[in-house]
Amino acid sequence: MAEKQLESTVRAAQHQKSWFAQLREDVFEKQKPYAIVQADMPLELFHAMDIPVVSNQWWASLIAAKQLAPYYLDHLNAMGYHEGLCRYCSLSLASTLAGDAARAPWGGLPKPALLSARLTCDCIQRVFEIWAGQFGSPFVPLDVPGATELPPRWWELSRYRWSELFESHRLDFMVVQFHSLIATLERITGRRFDIERLRALMEGVNRQEEYFDEVRELICRAPKTPVRVTEQISNVMAAQWLRGGEWATSHARAFRDEVKARTEAGVAACRSERIRLMWVGAGLWHDTGFYTAFEEPYGAVFVWSMYLAFGPDGYIRYGLDDPLRALASRTVSFNEQLHNPPWANEWIVDQARRHRIDAALVLEPLGTRPSATGNRFIERALEASGIPVLPIAADMVDARGWDGVRMRQTVAQFLEGLSSSTGRDRA
Amino acid sequence: MEDAFSPRIKAIFDFLVSPEAAALSAVLIPRTSEQEHKLYLYLREVMRQGLETAPPPILYNLLQARSPEAQAYGLERTRELKQQLERMTGRAIEAEAMTAAIAEGNAARSVVRGLLRLRECPGPRLAGSEALALIGAWYFMDRTEYRQLARTALQEIETRGPITGPRVLMKEPPLGSRDICSMIEAQGAIVVAEDDWWGSRAVSDDIDVTADPLGAIFERYYFDAPSPRVFPSSTADAWFRQKAQEVDGVVFYLPEEDDTLGWDYPRLRNFLDERAIPHLMLRTASSERAGAFVKGLGHG
Repeated sequence: MAEKQLESTVRAAQHQKSWFAQLREDVFEKQKPYAIVQADMPLELFHAMDIPVVSNQWWASLIAAKQLAPYYLDHLNAMGYHEGLCRYCSLSLASTLAGDAARAPWGGLPKPALLSARLTCDCIQRVFEIWAGQFGSPFVPLDVPGATELPPRWWELSRYRWSELFESHRLDFMVVQFHSLIATLERITGRRFDIERLRALMEGVNRQEEYFDEVRELICRAPKTPVRVTEQISNVMAAQWLRGGEWATSHARAFRDEVKARTEAGVAACRSERIRLMWVGAGLWHDTGFYTAFEEPYGAVFVWSMYLAFGPDGYIRYGLDDPLRALASRTVSFNEQLHNPPWANEWIVDQARRHRIDAALVLEPLGTRPSATGNRFIERALEASGIPVLPIAADMVDARGWDGVRMRQTVAQFLEGLSSSTGRDRA
Repeated sequence: MEDAFSPRIKAIFDFLVSPEAAALSAVLIPRTSEQEHKLYLYLREVMRQGLETAPPPILYNLLQARSPEAQAYGLERTRELKQQLERMTGRAIEAEAMTAAIAEGNAARSVVRGLLRLRECPGPRLAGSEALALIGAWYFMDRTEYRQLARTALQEIETRGPITGPRVLMKEPPLGSRDICSMIEAQGAIVVAEDDWWGSRAVSDDIDVTADPLGAIFERYYFDAPSPRVFPSSTADAWFRQKAQEVDGVVFYLPEEDDTLGWDYPRLRNFLDERAIPHLMLRTASSERAGAFVKGLGHG
């Protein structure tokens, strides 16, 4: 893996590790509650009740980065869960079922007070129900009606006109479910939910995402990207899991400041940048070195992933008179904006243009259906915009079957085949 | 469509963008599974981009988690659907018309239940592969016409002698195909039921004709549809658990694209093991494995 170029990245990693150590101490020694949730859940409700949350996807990425996924997934398959099932969303469950705390990252997940998931796909209720049963903890699902109003350029409406973008009946339904979830959180903590606390958090989230918006703009405008995509992800997601809180907001600001300083000083993540690449899909957590492998030989730099860009476009909500409803608007179509037509294809093409992307690598996940659909529309839209596309068939967390050497060769051939009218001539 | 989609959904999509579907004024898609939801979005998108023509899709946002909130939401969406249909046709759907439609459907349901009895009774008269064709027609025909034809078939089948063989229950994703059933029956078994809306679960009890008709229709689909989104699993498993105890063996079929039933399989397998009910799990159609399993069940 490449060296960390930003001080913010080092601090983000340190903070995540110490945050989790504190969580384990609080849970084991002080019997404080915490929750395991899906990434597309309204974390703000938990934060407003001082219940720390561990995101399923964050934990899965950690396991994968530590090269433990094959061990856990083999264990899961041996229990009778077949190999074609979703691995990204079940790897953390697999680590719990394996029950080997000494092997687990950072001592493993302690028993949560509850688990909660948005029913984005048909399998997640199953994953969480099995997981909750293993822990002996309750599972609270949030169901999701489909969107029928589908304006393609959703990001132009999501900040101010979110109430019309996401359909009243869907927002009403999500708010009703929030009340049930809040009642559960109140029972767990023995405390009352404070709507003003939520409003303050939502304002904090807006500030945080505004900093990320500035970073995105800096990347768009700089002649060469000042920050690698891996470091974008580390900084953004460390803050997103704690979004709206003091540390998250101040970290986002520090990240912005550091990227701005690098930009003003003309510092590039890769001085030989000639080809600007886009990574479409979730991260390749078991082989993050892949993202820097093409800098030296080809000057090909990953400039964009959804993690930074979705912050400002997916999270900011202005008009917080009713913070629960605003939060519902952030939750109700969260995953669909990233993966479903027309939202995903239109947004990604817009992002590609803004970031002066020369070519895109599109992850075709092997077993995560919500992320595996919609790709054809994305690929077609990018190609129609003149952006060559290379599909990458791989799993985000499962290194079994991943041939990193062969895949790097495939990408190398793709880069060599790019026409001379792309980034190479700009150098 | 991507490989993540089942052949059933791909076939529906292909049909809807074909000239054969041009006569349809609309296509109603329930949010009964994520695949159906994506089908709706894909149709909308190919039409928006001008890539294909298809009947305008309507999403019926029927949720399946068992909660007061989901139930209230689904009832409201059902009212909305009624209004949408009224706008399309330019005429009101009166309560009397709904009650008459329910009665018509119930009459057809009654005949389907008769077919199911002939599959499940001791000394079955009707093989599963035949039953799937007879029941599947329910989805494509006028209910009165279906009732008449199905009743004729029922009367004919009643005169047959019993067929013999071990009695098998199938658990599979919705397939829209009789291939696996036929393959198992070719080995000498009788598939007497399947946990699938195309077969044994196409109909259940009658819809209540004395209640508010719209509410009664909604409750039928909210409570009885065997959707992969039914939650919790204790509710989703109830039908299977009962039926499994009435057969000689159970065959699970989890095709390559399965991403749902595979999560249920170890739990259901444990249920069967605890009751010493034989079972087989197939990922692909394998006559050899099915034959060995059926042979092991004896003669039923």
